[in-house]
Amino acid sequence: MSSRQLSKVGWNALGLAVFVVMIFPVYWMVSTAFKTGPNIFSYSPKWLPIPATLANFGDAIHRQYFWQNVRNSLIVVCVVVTLSLALAFLAALALAKFRFYGRKAFIVITIAVLMVPLNALIIPLYITLSRVHQVNKLSGVIITYMTFVLPFAIWTLRGFILGVPRELEEAAMVDGTTRFGAFVRILLPLVAPGLVATSIFAFIQAWNEYIIAYVLLSSPEKQTLTVWLASFTTNRGTAWGPLMAGATLTAVPVVMFFLLVQRRIAFGLTAGAVRG
Amino acid sequence: MADVQLVHLSKVYDNGVVAVNDLNLEIGEGEFVVLVGPSGCGKTTALRMVAGLEEISDGEIRIGGKVVNDLPPRERDIAMVFQNYALYPHKTVYENLAFGLRMRKVPKDEQKRRVEEIARVLGLADMLKRRPAQLSGGQRQRVAMGRAIVREPKAFLMDEPLSNLDAKLRVQMRAEIARIQQALRVTTVYVTHDQVEAMTMGHRVAVMRDGVLQQVDTPQHLYDAPMNLFVASFVGSPPMNLFEATIVQENGRISCRVGQVELELPSDVVAQRPALAEYEGRSVAIGIRPEDVREAAGWDGARLRGRILLVESLGSEQLVHIEIAATPLERADLIDTAAQPPGPSLGVEDLERAVTLLGRFDRHLLLVPGGAVEVAIDPRLLHFFDLETGVAIPTVDVPVAAEVVR
Repeated sequence: MSSRQLSKVGWNALGLAVFVVMIFPVYWMVSTAFKTGPNIFSYSPKWLPIPATLANFGDAIHRQYFWQNVRNSLIVVCVVVTLSLALAFLAALALAKFRFYGRKAFIVITIAVLMVPLNALIIPLYITLSRVHQVNKLSGVIITYMTFVLPFAIWTLRGFILGVPRELEEAAMVDGTTRFGAFVRILLPLVAPGLVATSIFAFIQAWNEYIIAYVLLSSPEKQTLTVWLASFTTNRGTAWGPLMAGATLTAVPVVMFFLLVQRRIAFGLTAGAVRG
Repeated sequence: MADVQLVHLSKVYDNGVVAVNDLNLEIGEGEFVVLVGPSGCGKTTALRMVAGLEEISDGEIRIGGKVVNDLPPRERDIAMVFQNYALYPHKTVYENLAFGLRMRKVPKDEQKRRVEEIARVLGLADMLKRRPAQLSGGQRQRVAMGRAIVREPKAFLMDEPLSNLDAKLRVQMRAEIARIQQALRVTTVYVTHDQVEAMTMGHRVAVMRDGVLQQVDTPQHLYDAPMNLFVASFVGSPPMNLFEATIVQENGRISCRVGQVELELPSDVVAQRPALAEYEGRSVAIGIRPEDVREAAGWDGARLRGRILLVESLGSEQLVHIEIAATPLERADLIDTAAQPPGPSLGVEDLERAVTLLGRFDRHLLLVPGGAVEVAIDPRLLHFFDLETGVAIPTVDVPVAAEVVR
């Protein structure tokens, strides 16, 4: 074997190792969800859930507040995704297309906001939100999520919009469209993959967030799914089987959403527009 | 079809940069006018103002006699070919070609007929279902052309449409565009920085520099009678030889001293340029085209002695770099410096002030680098320019125009 081949094998092995490390917790979560009680706690680890059971799922679903919390999570995510996408797209458009005073500062501040560790802000955030009566309300959580989803969405979308050459819209305008027509017929279809990618990001962020939801939402019927998962751990210990079943169920919508939209992320759609 | 008029057109950007300065240009119906100049001379800005993509700071643009200053691009009925083609990447070739027609509510079957006709003419018939990404550079260029042609607009605006093609394809497309323009007789404004393109394609060529129009003329007249040093140095490849010379008068005869050699100016040359006498005792800039530089065998006038620095064989002829004793032009601000040949070689001792003279010689002449050569310059072929303003010293049949703007 030449050294070239050897290094190729080496890199592949490394890649495989990383893959295994990444996938293992997911695998363990799903497999534990199907295990029976004794198998979960057996001293020699059981790799496969045999015999398999659905009892954990039944247990999880029938817990108090499950459906209410599913609804809460869906509300939060849907509002955050639509609102942040709409606002971020307009903001990104302005930042990419127009020259205005303070544009550069705005871009820098947008990124700077993302640099602030959110966990350090929880207490000030809580105090601020409680003053405006937004604690223990989904709207408070939505507003808070927007603060970190929005800057990222603006930043990503701006990149996508900048990737569409200005001449394309100009050509459309010369060809007979209005400025708005050029936007709808040319720019929008071309940044669609960017909108999809950004919505995936926003969805995952809002769906998986735990700490803010945990701090802001105190009554169980108002909590989101991630907080609900924590309720499996009580003073008397953790119900691992149902917890893993619940976690698996929680992960399903994210995976579904991704599978649903990922086909639309056809990167490089602008190829061929201009020479390069 | 319509004529296009630019009247006192100016563009000043917010930061105070003047991109186009008081441009006056009239493009007749069906005429092909090329705007040419070095990069940053304002030619593209001028074109974009005609298209309606750039706001007009001052002046007027009329298309077909109608002032279009405040009309959006779509209402000007012009078509533009962009430097980078700007094809819609998410649309097929057919959709790209039909887009303008669709926006103008042309009936579907009419759209189809026109698109297919154009595709056939441009050799794109087999590619109508492809997307731009699946086309070669030349094919994309054709689609961009087709998208303009199919609309049958009042005027074509082309912004360096060939600069992204390789050299061979460029020569081919150059002829093709000129041919299409001739066949359709559509008013065309074509922007390029390549003076060869300008000379070969345009009915008339407008040379611009720093936002100011220098000269508008037919390619031949531009070449034969440049109005100032900039046009003289910009037009022509290889460029005109330019250097300083002193006008002297002895016994009523005017000559022009180059280094130590006096070239006597025949009386008709002087008669043609009455102003030349006023330059007596002063320096002027003189220019001579490389093809007018001759090897001196059989010449009975004054000769310039020089040394051959380099011989470039072009196959049909040879391009010879000759070092002669003369004063180089020190006003670099008056000429197109990019086009000038490099200065004299290092280690020149016997010639204190030397310039490199480019000569286009017969290919059969045996010339060796390092060798001595005598060149003859026919004073009748010389161009004379004022050293202060850069303006050509007027001849009686060629009135003088704008001075070079610094």
